[in-house]
Amino acid sequence: MEHFKIENLTFSYPGTEKKALNDISLKIERGQYVTLCGKSGSGKTTLLRHFKTVLTPHGERNGNVYFEGKPLSEVSMRDQSAKIAYVMQNPDSQIVTDKVWHELAFGLESLGCDQRTMRLRVAEMASYFGIQNWFHRNVAELSGGQKQLLNLASIMAMQPTVLILDEPTSQLDPIAAADFLNTVRKINLELGTTVILSEHRLEEVFPSADRVLVMDGGHIAADATPRSVGDILKEQDSDMFAALPTPIQIYYATESTFACPLTIREGRSWLSKELTDREIKITSLPGETEYEEPDPDKTAVELKEIWFRYERDLPDVLKGVDLKIPNGSLSAVAGGNGTGKSTMLKAICGVVKPYRGKILINGKRLDKYKQNELFRGCLAMLPQDPQSLFVKKTVKEDLYEMLSGQWLTKEEKGKLVSEVADICEVTAFFSSHPYDLSGGEQQRTALAKVLLCKPEILLLDEPTKGIDSFFKIKLSRILKRLNGKGVTIIMVSHDVEFCAKYADNVSMFFDGSVITTNTPGRFFSQNSFYTTAANRMSRHIFENAVTNEDVIELCRLNK
Amino acid sequence: MRFDSYHPAINFIFFAAVITAAITFDQPMFLAVSYICPFIYSIALNGRRSAIFNTVLIPLVALFAFYYSSYNHFGVTNLAVNFIGNQITLESFVFGFVIGIKTASVLMWFSCVHNVISSDKVIYLLGRAFPKLSLFLSILLRMVPRIKAYAKKVNTAQKCIRKGMNQGNIFRRIYNFFRIQSIVVTWVLESFVTTSDSMRSRGCSLRGRTAFSIYRFDNRDRSFVIVLFFCFTVLVMGILLDQTHILYNPEIILNRITPLSYVFLATYVFLCLLPLGLQIAGEYRFKRLMLMTADFSSEQL
Repeated sequence: MEHFKIENLTFSYPGTEKKALNDISLKIERGQYVTLCGKSGSGKTTLLRHFKTVLTPHGERNGNVYFEGKPLSEVSMRDQSAKIAYVMQNPDSQIVTDKVWHELAFGLESLGCDQRTMRLRVAEMASYFGIQNWFHRNVAELSGGQKQLLNLASIMAMQPTVLILDEPTSQLDPIAAADFLNTVRKINLELGTTVILSEHRLEEVFPSADRVLVMDGGHIAADATPRSVGDILKEQDSDMFAALPTPIQIYYATESTFACPLTIREGRSWLSKELTDREIKITSLPGETEYEEPDPDKTAVELKEIWFRYERDLPDVLKGVDLKIPNGSLSAVAGGNGTGKSTMLKAICGVVKPYRGKILINGKRLDKYKQNELFRGCLAMLPQDPQSLFVKKTVKEDLYEMLSGQWLTKEEKGKLVSEVADICEVTAFFSSHPYDLSGGEQQRTALAKVLLCKPEILLLDEPTKGIDSFFKIKLSRILKRLNGKGVTIIMVSHDVEFCAKYADNVSMFFDGSVITTNTPGRFFSQNSFYTTAANRMSRHIFENAVTNEDVIELCRLNK
Repeated sequence: MRFDSYHPAINFIFFAAVITAAITFDQPMFLAVSYICPFIYSIALNGRRSAIFNTVLIPLVALFAFYYSSYNHFGVTNLAVNFIGNQITLESFVFGFVIGIKTASVLMWFSCVHNVISSDKVIYLLGRAFPKLSLFLSILLRMVPRIKAYAKKVNTAQKCIRKGMNQGNIFRRIYNFFRIQSIVVTWVLESFVTTSDSMRSRGCSLRGRTAFSIYRFDNRDRSFVIVLFFCFTVLVMGILLDQTHILYNPEIILNRITPLSYVFLATYVFLCLLPLGLQIAGEYRFKRLMLMTADFSSEQL
C-alpha cells in the first residue's frame, strides 16, 4: 500500500481565480525520498501543506488525499501529529520553547507520554543528532544550522513515518545546509522514513533522491528519477533546467550519449569518457586580463588596515582589512561564515566605527562626510535579511516612505519610485504586504527601497540567500543594469557560483582580513576546494574553466 | 555541590520556609539570625554584587527606623520631642528598625533565590501542577529576547539607509522610533503564525498534556527533606511556646530565655545555614578527593 496517495487535487486560495494546485494525482511509496522542485510560487508549499490537516490552507478544494490507505481527514489528530512530521522554512520561528531539552520533548509532552518514555526518547534523539553538547543551552544561543537540526530532532522524537520538509535550508549557509541534508538522508537510509523535501539546492539533494517532482504553475510538470528528469525538462524547454546541478546541465549541453552524471565525481569520469578518444588541443579559454589594483582616482572605496571589535573585551572581528574597489564594478567578497564579511560592510557604511585604519569613499575620509551627505546619493546598504528594511503595510507605501522628508512634488516622487520599481521589476506587487512576498521578491523590493537613496556605491550583504536560480538570474540582470549606470556594487556572499558568473573581481575574506583579490576566472581556477562545481568537475582536463558555459565551450572547441 | 543541584521542589520548600520565618520571627536573637544568614549566603553565592547590595541596605534600614518613629508614636519610653511637638518613643523606633531588618532579610533571601532557582525550575514546578501554564511561560521566555533581537536587527538595517533610531534631528528620531516599533509588532504577529503552525503540527492542542523534566528526586534529596522537616518540627514547637515572639506595644516584653530557647535558636541557625554548610562540606570533600587522587597518581609515577 502506498504511503500517501493524492487523487485529482485542485485547490485555489479564497478570493483568487488562479488555481494554486491544478489536478494533482500522485502516489508516494513507503521509504521513498522525493524531491519537490519548482520556481517560487509554483505551489510547492501549498502542496506540502495538504499532507497534514492542521496545516492545510483555507480555500476551495477538490480531490482526495489518502494517508496509509485512509482519507487524511479521517486520520485522528493524535496519529497525524505523531506520524506526519513537518519542518518549515524559518528555523527560528518554528522553535516554541526557550531550552533545547524542552524543545526536544515538546511533541512528546503533547502526546501525553510518561516521564520514563520521554527521558528515553529525548536521550535517543540527542545522541542520534549529536545534540548532547548543547542539550542544556538556551535556544537563542544556537546558530541557524543548529536551530534547524533541533527542529528536525524534536519532530523525529515523535517517531514519524513520513518527514515533510519545506525548503528547510533556504536560511542556512552552504556548510550548515549540507550538514542538514546529510542528516535527512541518514534518516531516510537508516530508519526508512519516507522523505518529501522541497528544495532549491539541487546539487545536494539529487544524489540522494529516488524521485524528482517538478512543479510548474500548480501542476506537476515532471515526475522522474534524478537521472532522467533532465530529459523531460529539456524536451519541455523548461525554465527549471537552469536550476539543475552543474554536471547535468553540462551533460545536456554537450549532447552526450553516455549516462547522465549526477555528482561531481560522476561528472569528472563522464567528462574523461566523453573526451577520451579526442585529442585535447585547447585546454584553456583566452584568459581574462591580470587583475590590477585600480588607480586612486578610479577607486570608489578604499579600506586601509581596518581594525574593529564589537566590545572592548571581545576579540577583533576585522584584523587589518585592505581593500580597493574600482569605480563602477561589481566586486564580490567571498568567504565562510562568521569571518567578519558583514561587519566589513557595516564599517564601510559607517554603522560600526573601526578603532584603527582609514576608510576612503571616493577619495574622501568616511568620517569627514556628514551623515546626510553620505546617505543621500552616495552610499546605501542592503542588509542580509531584506525583511528588516520594511516598515509599511504595502510595498508602494514602503517605497514612498523612503522619500518622505525630502522636498519633492508628488509627480517627482512618483517618477522616482516608478523608475526604481521598473529597474527591480517590483511593480506587479505594489499593493502586497512586504512580509507576504517570497524570498526573491522581498530581496528585489528591498533593493528598490535602497536604490531610492540613489547610491553611487551599493553594498549588498548575501543578496542570493534563500533565492532560487531564476531570481538569481533576474538579480544579476538588475545588478548589471546598475553597473551600466555607473553604480559601484560591493557584494558579500557565500555563493561561489554566483560570484564566479557575475562578479568583475572576487576577494577572499578569511579570519578578519582580505587574503587575495583577483578576477573570477583566475581566482577560482587557482583554488581547488573553494571553487565552482564546473571547475571542480573539469580541472583535471581544462585549465581555467570556471562556469558551466566555459566547460561547454571548451567541450565544443575540442570536438 | 551547590544548593541548585538539589531538586527544584527542595529549593522551593527551603526558601519558602526561611522567608516565612524571616517575616514572622521577631524575637531579637532570631531576628539577628534571619539577618546574618542570608547576608553571608548571598555573598557566598553572588560575590561582590551581593556584598554591595547588602551594605547599601544597612543605612536604608536605619533610615526607615527614623522615618517610622517620626510618624508612629506608640510606646511608653520617650526619647525626644520633634519640632511639631510629637514624641519619639523607643518602642516605635525599635519596631521600625525590626521591620527594616525583616525587609532587608527577605530581600537578601530573594537574591539567593534568584541565583538558585532558574526560570527552568519555575517552569518545572508550575508544569507539575499546570502543564499549559508552564508552556505559556516557556513561550514567553523565548519571545521576549527574540523580539528585542529583532528590533535591534531592524534598527541596524534602517541605519544602513539612514533611518535608524539615533539618526537625524529630534523629530526624525521620534518618527523613526515609531516606525520601527510598529513594524516589530507586525513581525511578532507574523512570526507567531509560524510558531503556532509548528505547535499545532506537533499536536499542541491534544488533550492530556504532560510535562517533561530533566530533574530527578534522588536519595540525597530524600535525606535533605527529612532533615528539613525535622527542623520545621522543632521550630514549630518554638513558635507554639512563644519563643520567637516579642511585644513592642506599649512596652517591650520578651519571653523568658531558657536552655530550651537555645535549642530552638540553634535549630534555626542550622536550618538557615544548611545549604551553605552543605556547599562548603561538599567542596571540601571534593578538594580532598582531588588531592588524594593526585597523590596517588604521582606515587604511581
